Amino acid sequence: MMGSGDGSDNLHHRWSHLRKILERPGPFCHPDFEASPETLNFLMNSCKILVIGAGGLGCELLKDLAYMGFRNIHVIDMDTIELSNLNRQFLFRHKDIGKSKAEVAANFINTRIQGCHVVPHFSKIQDFDESFYRQFHIVVCGLDSIVARRWINGMIISLLNYENGVLDTCSIIPIIDGGTEGFKGNVRVILPGMTACIDCTLDLFPPQITYPLCTIANTPRLPEHCIEYVKVIQWPKENPWSVPIDGDDPQHISWIYEKSSERAAQFSIPGVTYRLVQGVVKNIIPAVASTNAVVAAACATEAFKLATSCCLPLNNYMVFNDLEGVYTYAYEAERKEDCLACSQVPQKIEFKADCKLEELIAHLCESAQFRMRSPGITTQTGGHSRTLYMSTVASIEQQTRGNLRRTLQELGLSDGDQLLVADPTSPNTVVLQLKLLNSTT
Amino acid sequence: MSSPAPKSPEQSEKNKKYDRQLRLWGDHGQAALESAHVCLINANGLGTEILKSLILPGIGAFTIVDGEKVTEEDIGCNFFLDHDSVGKSRAQATIQLLLELNPDVRGDYVDESVEQVLENNPDFFNNFSVVISTQISERVIIRLSKKLWELEIPFIACQSYGFIGYARIQVQEHTVIETHPDNEVPDLRLDKPFPSLKELIDSIDISKMELKDHAHVPYVVILYKCLQQWQQENEGQIPKTYREKESLRKLIRAEILNNDDGIPHDEENFEEAIKAVNTLAPTNIPSHVREILDDESCINLTSKSKPFWIMAKALREFVENEGAGALPLRGTLPDMTADTERYIHLQQVYHSQAAKDAEVMFRRVQQLLREINQSPDSITEKDVKLFCKHTSTMHLVRGSCIADDYDNKIFAQKLAPHLEDPESALVYAVLLRGVDRFRIAHGTYPGEYDDQVEPDIVKLKSCVSKLLNEWSCGPLAKDDYVHEICRYGGGELHSISAFVGGCIAQETIKFITSQYKPIHNTFIYDGITSNTASFTL
Amino acid sequence: MIKLFSLKQQKKDGEAAPKAGNQKKASAAQLRITKDINELNLPKTCNTEFPDPDDLLSFKLIICPDEGFYRGGRFSFSFKVGPNYPHEPPKVKCETPVYHPNIDLEGNVCLNILREDWKPVLTINSIVYGLQYLFLEPNPEDPLNKEAAEVLQNNRRLFEQNVQKAMRGGYVGSVYFERCLK
Repeated sequence: MMGSGDGSDNLHHRWSHLRKILERPGPFCHPDFEASPETLNFLMNSCKILVIGAGGLGCELLKDLAYMGFRNIHVIDMDTIELSNLNRQFLFRHKDIGKSKAEVAANFINTRIQGCHVVPHFSKIQDFDESFYRQFHIVVCGLDSIVARRWINGMIISLLNYENGVLDTCSIIPIIDGGTEGFKGNVRVILPGMTACIDCTLDLFPPQITYPLCTIANTPRLPEHCIEYVKVIQWPKENPWSVPIDGDDPQHISWIYEKSSERAAQFSIPGVTYRLVQGVVKNIIPAVASTNAVVAAACATEAFKLATSCCLPLNNYMVFNDLEGVYTYAYEAERKEDCLACSQVPQKIEFKADCKLEELIAHLCESAQFRMRSPGITTQTGGHSRTLYMSTVASIEQQTRGNLRRTLQELGLSDGDQLLVADPTSPNTVVLQLKLLNSTT
Repeated sequence: MSSPAPKSPEQSEKNKKYDRQLRLWGDHGQAALESAHVCLINANGLGTEILKSLILPGIGAFTIVDGEKVTEEDIGCNFFLDHDSVGKSRAQATIQLLLELNPDVRGDYVDESVEQVLENNPDFFNNFSVVISTQISERVIIRLSKKLWELEIPFIACQSYGFIGYARIQVQEHTVIETHPDNEVPDLRLDKPFPSLKELIDSIDISKMELKDHAHVPYVVILYKCLQQWQQENEGQIPKTYREKESLRKLIRAEILNNDDGIPHDEENFEEAIKAVNTLAPTNIPSHVREILDDESCINLTSKSKPFWIMAKALREFVENEGAGALPLRGTLPDMTADTERYIHLQQVYHSQAAKDAEVMFRRVQQLLREINQSPDSITEKDVKLFCKHTSTMHLVRGSCIADDYDNKIFAQKLAPHLEDPESALVYAVLLRGVDRFRIAHGTYPGEYDDQVEPDIVKLKSCVSKLLNEWSCGPLAKDDYVHEICRYGGGELHSISAFVGGCIAQETIKFITSQYKPIHNTFIYDGITSNTASFTL
Repeated sequence: MIKLFSLKQQKKDGEAAPKAGNQKKASAAQLRITKDINELNLPKTCNTEFPDPDDLLSFKLIICPDEGFYRGGRFSFSFKVGPNYPHEPPKVKCETPVYHPNIDLEGNVCLNILREDWKPVLTINSIVYGLQYLFLEPNPEDPLNKEAAEVLQNNRRLFEQNVQKAMRGGYVGSVYFERCLK
C-alpha cells in the first residue's frame, strides 16, 4: 500500500480534479468550508468509510468512492457471485462465480486503483459489534433487504451519545442509503438522531406483493396465483425432496413450473412461464447496470460532500426514475416522533448491584419520573434477548417470578446494559440504560 | 401471455446472465441491443462510464474515436485506465479494459481525433445505431451534428464538468411503441361495448344471486350494468363531473346486498366498481395518438416508409372503418375480485376481440405493403399484435439539430423563455457555451491553472455576456455561476460522470430498443443540489 | 436546514478486526414485540403459552371458543415473529386439525391481516381477535377449505354436525380429525 503520497508529482496531477474543488472556495460551498489541501489529506489518509453490500450498488460505490478520494474503505457482503450478477456487477467475471463478492470486489479495486485500500469482509453485518462500526466516519448502504437496512440503522443509532439528553454530534455516523428497482431508484442521507431514519420512513418501501390465501386456493385468476399456490400449499404438502424450496435449484423451479402449469391449465389461466415462476419464487427484482450506476454515483457524491463539507448534503431523500426521460425529485423526509429506532433517547437509571428486581419494579411504578402500572422488562445480553419479568402474561409470569427476589447482580446484569421496559403508560417500549453502583458505595 | 410455454424450460447461459434486464425490455429488446453498434467520441471518464453500462447488458458492438494520449489527470477519474496507461493512446488503453467487461461484446477504436475522422473518412459514421460524444468543441459539434442529422442517426452530446452534468440529444424522428407507462388505465370499452362483451354481460343477472356469487361478480360487470342504468337517465352520457360520478357511485352502492340486520355486506367487488368510476372515461383517440395519425408520414406512405408509419396508417384506416372511432382493443384485463370462471370468461372475451382487431389490422398492413411495393415479410403478425396492444400509449419525438443551437436567431427564441426563471438550471447550459467560447479565445479551460482563477472569472464573464447579448437575452442574475464554473477549471469529478454516464447509457438503450420515452432534448444534472432538469430546445 | 458538523474533527477509534456479535442494543422488532406481548389483552377464551420466556418471538395461542359452532373445542396456533416485525406480519399456523372453511388441513389460515392487509400499526392482539372471530363467524365466501364452506352455505345443520364430529375425533368424509374437545 502507498503512503500518503501527497508530495509525489504523480499523485498531485492525478488528483488535480479533486484538488480544484477542495482547494478553491466557491459560492455554493457550505458556510464552514475552508479551501485547503488539508481536506484532501483528511479524505485520503484519515477518513474511514464502510460500504455495506458488494452487489449492484456496492461494486459501483467502491469505484466511485475510490475516485472521489476515499482510500480507507471497508466492504461487507455475505454473498457469493452468481451468473445473473454479471449484467451489472462489473467487478466480477465468469471465472469468479462462486467466490465471495466482497473479496473479489476489494481485490479488483485495489489492483486497478493505485493507493486505494479496500478491506473485504465476507460475512454478515450481524457478525460485527459496536466497536467495529464505531471506527467509521460514514456508512454507505447498497442493500436489497429491509431487514438488513433496519439492522444497520439500529446499530448506528445505538452508537449515539447523549449528554443530559442532548445529542453529542461527534457520535453521529451519517448513513447514506441507496436502493434500486428496475429503472427506479432512491438515495437518502441519514444523520442518525437528527434526520429521518430508516424506521421513520418504513412506509416508503414498497410492500411485498401478497395474494389472499383464499384467492390462491379457490379463485385463482393470474398465473402468479397458480405459482403461489404451488409454493405455499402444494410444496409443503407433497414436499418432493423433503426440503424447503431452494430458488436456486433448477430441479425445484422445474417442479414448481410443472405443477403451476398444470394448475393454470385446469383453470384456463394463460401466462405461466418459466421466467415468471422463477421471478415469483425467488421474488426477483429486475435490475440494470445504468440505474445502479446512477444511484451509486449520487450516494458517492453525498459521501464526498459530507466528508469534505464542500457543499450541503442532500436534505434528505431523492427519488430517481428514467422510464420517461430522466426524473428526479428531492425532498425532506420527516422524522417520526415516535419512531421505534431513533426517537429512543436511552434514559440513564442508577441502581445498586444488590438491588432486587422487585425493588427496581417498585421504583418504576412509584417514582414520579415513571409512574408505571405493569412494566414488563426484557434485556439483551450476549446477543440474546432475556425476559426479566412480565406480570401480564400468565405463562411468562410463572417462569420469571423467581427473578423478582434476585438482585441485579445475581441476574447477571452489568453496568451499561439496557433494560427494555414496556408499560401501558407509554406508547413505546422505553429503553433504560443501567448504571450499576457498587453495593458498598 | 403472448408466447406459449417453451418445451424445455431450462434456460440458456445467456438468458441466465441477462435475466434481471430481460424482465424489463424483453427478449426482443435484448435482440435489438445485441445487434446495435454505438460510437463513442472521446473516452474520458464520462465516456467510459456510458460504455460500461452498455457493454454490461450486452450491446452488439462499440467503436471509440479518440486521438488523445492518456494523462495523469485521466488516471484520476477514469476506471478503464490504470497507472501503466499514461502516455498511451487513450482509445487503445480504454478499449482493452472495457472489453474485459463482457466477452459477448465486440469493440474497436480509431486513435484519431473526430476532426481527423470527419476530414479523412466522411462515411465513417454511416452505420452506427447511436453516436455519443463527450467534451467536443463548438466547431466539431456543428459539423458532426449536421452530418448525423442527415444520416438520421441519434446523437447525444454530453459533458461532465465539475459538479455539473449536461446532455443534448439530437434525433430527427424517433417512434416508440412500448413506452412502459407506470399507470395504465385499463381499456374496458364500457361506454362502447363490443357485441361479445355486451352479450356476455347481458347474460348475467346480478339481482338473483346469492351472496357468495354476488360478491364474486367482476367489477367490470357491475360497473357496466350501473353505467347503463345511469346513461338511461342521462341521455347516454358518461359521468364527467364530480356530482355525476357521485350519482353513479350511489347507483352501485345501492346494489350491495344487506345482511339480516339491514347492514350492507363487505363486497370488495362493489368497492372496486365504485373506485373505478374515477377512471371511467369515454373511449376515444388520445390527442398524442391523433397527432401521429394526422402526421404527414402517416398519411402519405412511400416505398421508404418505416414499419411504424405503415402500421400507423393501417391504424388510421382501422379507426375510420372497423374501429368506428376507437383504437384496436388492448385485450388485457386487470386483476379484480372475482371467481375464476367468471373472470377467465371475461378475460377471454376481451382477448378474442383484441385478436380479431389485430387480425383486421394485419390484413390492412399487408394491403398497404403491397400498395407501396414493400415486401410482405417486412412486418410480421407479431409486430402488428405488439403494436395493437400499445396504440394508446405510443410516442413520437421530432427533435432539433444541435447545429441550430449555434444559430443565434433560432437559439435566442428557444432559450429566452427558460432564462426568465433566474433559478433555472439551464443557466449551466449557457455557462458551458461560455466555456466553449473561452477555450476558442484563450486555449485553456477557465480556471485550469491555480494562478489564473481570478483573471479567468473576468474573462469568462465577458464571454458569457457576449453570448447572451448575441441571443438578445439580459445579463445573468448573479455572478455566482461564473465563479463556480471557474472553480472547476475543466475538472471532471468521477461521481458526476458516473451519474450522467448511467443516464446517457439508458437514453442510448431507449433509442436502440425503441422502448421508453427518451429525454427531449436537453438534460442538466446539478450535483450541488442533487437536482436534474430537462428542457426542450 | 441541517446544521452540519464537521467529520474532520472527529477522531475515530474502534477495532478493525471483526468481533462476534455481543449486541447490547435491542432491535426495533424486539422493542415492538416486548410492547405487544406486555400489553396482550386476551379475551377470556384465549390463552398464550411461551415455552421459553426469553423468546418472545415464538409462542402459542390457545383458543377455546365458548359460543358458536366451535364451542367446547381447543385450538392451538403457533406464532413466529420475524426480524422484520412489524413491517411484516408474524407467521401463524393452526396446529390443531380443524374442520373450518377458512383453515385448511395443513393449518394455513385465511385471515386478511395475516397477509395482504397487514399493516405495521396492527399488533399481536389484532391477530388474536381476528382468529377468535374466525371461530365465531366462519366465512364461507372466501374459503380455504372449499368443501366445508359449501356445506356451511347450503346446510348449516349438517355443518354443525360435521364440526361436532371433527371435534369429537372422527371422519368427516374421508378426512380424519383428532379429538380436540376441552
